[in-house]
Amino acid sequence: MRSYHLPPILPIIALVAMPFLPFVNSAGLWLGLPKMVVWGGISALLLSPALLWSEHLMRRAREKDLQ
Amino acid sequence: MILAVTLAGMALIGALGFAGRRGAADRNLLEWTVGGRRLGASALWFLQAGETFTTFTFLGLAGLAFSGGVAAMYALQYGTIAYVIVFFLARRVWTLSKDRGYLTLSDFLEDRFSSRTFGTLSAVLGVIFLLPYLQLQITGLGLIVRLLTGDAATGTLSMVVGTALIMAFVLWSGLRGVAAASYFKDAIMLVVLVVLIIAVPMHFAGGVPGIFARINQMQPAKLVIHAGANDHTWFVTSMLVSVIGGGLLTLPNLWPALLAARDPEALQRNLIWLPLYGICLLLPVIIGFAAVLVLPKGSDPNGALLTLSSSVLPHWMSGLVVVAATATAMVPAAGILIAISSLVARNIARTGDERRQFWINHLTVVVTCGSALLLAIWRPDLLANLLLLTYSGSAQLAPANCLGLQRRVVVGKVPVITALIVGEIVVLWLTFITPHAVGTINVGLIGLAANVAVLGIGAFIGRRLSAPNDNDEAPAAAGYREASDSSGSGDRPYSSVQQRTGGD
Repeated sequence: MRSYHLPPILPIIALVAMPFLPFVNSAGLWLGLPKMVVWGGISALLLSPALLWSEHLMRRAREKDLQ
Repeated sequence: MILAVTLAGMALIGALGFAGRRGAADRNLLEWTVGGRRLGASALWFLQAGETFTTFTFLGLAGLAFSGGVAAMYALQYGTIAYVIVFFLARRVWTLSKDRGYLTLSDFLEDRFSSRTFGTLSAVLGVIFLLPYLQLQITGLGLIVRLLTGDAATGTLSMVVGTALIMAFVLWSGLRGVAAASYFKDAIMLVVLVVLIIAVPMHFAGGVPGIFARINQMQPAKLVIHAGANDHTWFVTSMLVSVIGGGLLTLPNLWPALLAARDPEALQRNLIWLPLYGICLLLPVIIGFAAVLVLPKGSDPNGALLTLSSSVLPHWMSGLVVVAATATAMVPAAGILIAISSLVARNIARTGDERRQFWINHLTVVVTCGSALLLAIWRPDLLANLLLLTYSGSAQLAPANCLGLQRRVVVGKVPVITALIVGEIVVLWLTFITPHAVGTINVGLIGLAANVAVLGIGAFIGRRLSAPNDNDEAPAAAGYREASDSSGSGDRPYSSVQQRTGGD
């Protein structure tokens, strides 16, 4: 595993762990929406910035390899 | 009125598909299957997103939310996580494919494991897994119109017209036609979903928060993953198998869009933002929750979105919903058709003659489309069981794909083929012979466990007996490496790929 693989790990863990987190997988609403929808939506939202960061790290790694 | 709007919408999709051929350089399989590997970022975006937004997304997810509540969220998980995995693999897959001239998943497996047998076996499995998926899209076409008109004959008519148009524009334009129709499909689908997400909750509960406030009071169990058919185990294992299938590219229909890219940068740039687009999957889920409040228990879940839209929207607007729903069936069906025909032409029928290969491909399009239509009309249930295998069965190719993407393939073809066969047998057994033996665990995951175990043992024995498969990237062992052709595309003519020397 290289450093550029790391940025999306946290949002992926948040998505996969969703049904096992008692404060997420429970009745009740956050911001008028089911907790799982809010948690899942925010985690998925974080994936794109994480991948942007990964791409930046990948580009740097490629430049380093070329040197 | 609805039938007229639907037929007009279908004709428009078909016309866009035909127009997509503009810009195509040659009439060969490379151009037809992967657009000559010259597609830009926007066409790729809609091709890749198009594979996520199918009839299942549009109608099935609303139905799943209606019947299983937040269990429908598993689609958001797999839909977005799979993009992340593809993001990391895309450059490698694209470079390898461009360099060695792959047009299909089976080309890749055949070359990397130096085995014609493996290429043919994986292609046959790919066709078996994709055929029911194609029929599902065609059946969906009829279902959409039948649900809104209440007339079975108009449903059949729309299936016939839709299938004929798909077949015609796919034959004429290939992948470029699918890309052109995808623009329209995604645009109309998003417009309709946004209209529905405003109109449906507003009509029934004064807005989205109103829907969930009432569900929280009346049916709080819908907001929680709990025991039953869609429990924690179902949720996690189904998500994992779908992530493996989508992320590790085990479904053959995921390959053409990836290989069609002009350069890997465009591909990766799209994949950065596709998870954000994946959040749109929440829109049909929310509409499905509205159906929990409105529709009687036991209603057809697949009809939930259409039933709500027809009771809220004016007649002409319902027609627009039907056009959007038809587009989500027609465009993915066209993509699946391209994957099936190229597998048959390149990896099953096998001919050294370029022209003959192209015609076999086109004949496959006609035969496949015709058979799927006839089955959808007369025996819609015949392939339904096979649909259960689409993801769990194709996921069994994941270990081979992972090994094939390594710089040096360290496991030989015999362990990989044996492991694949064992994995498929386990999946078949648990799906059809003892369907309740493993509860709500996705059988694809159990098949994969057996698959990996056999692969491990086989690799160990193989290492003790002989040297590993020497299929290193350089030099090109199996005659796949492409020479720059006169068109400057960097791809050598596809037919020469068929002359390769397999390891079998």
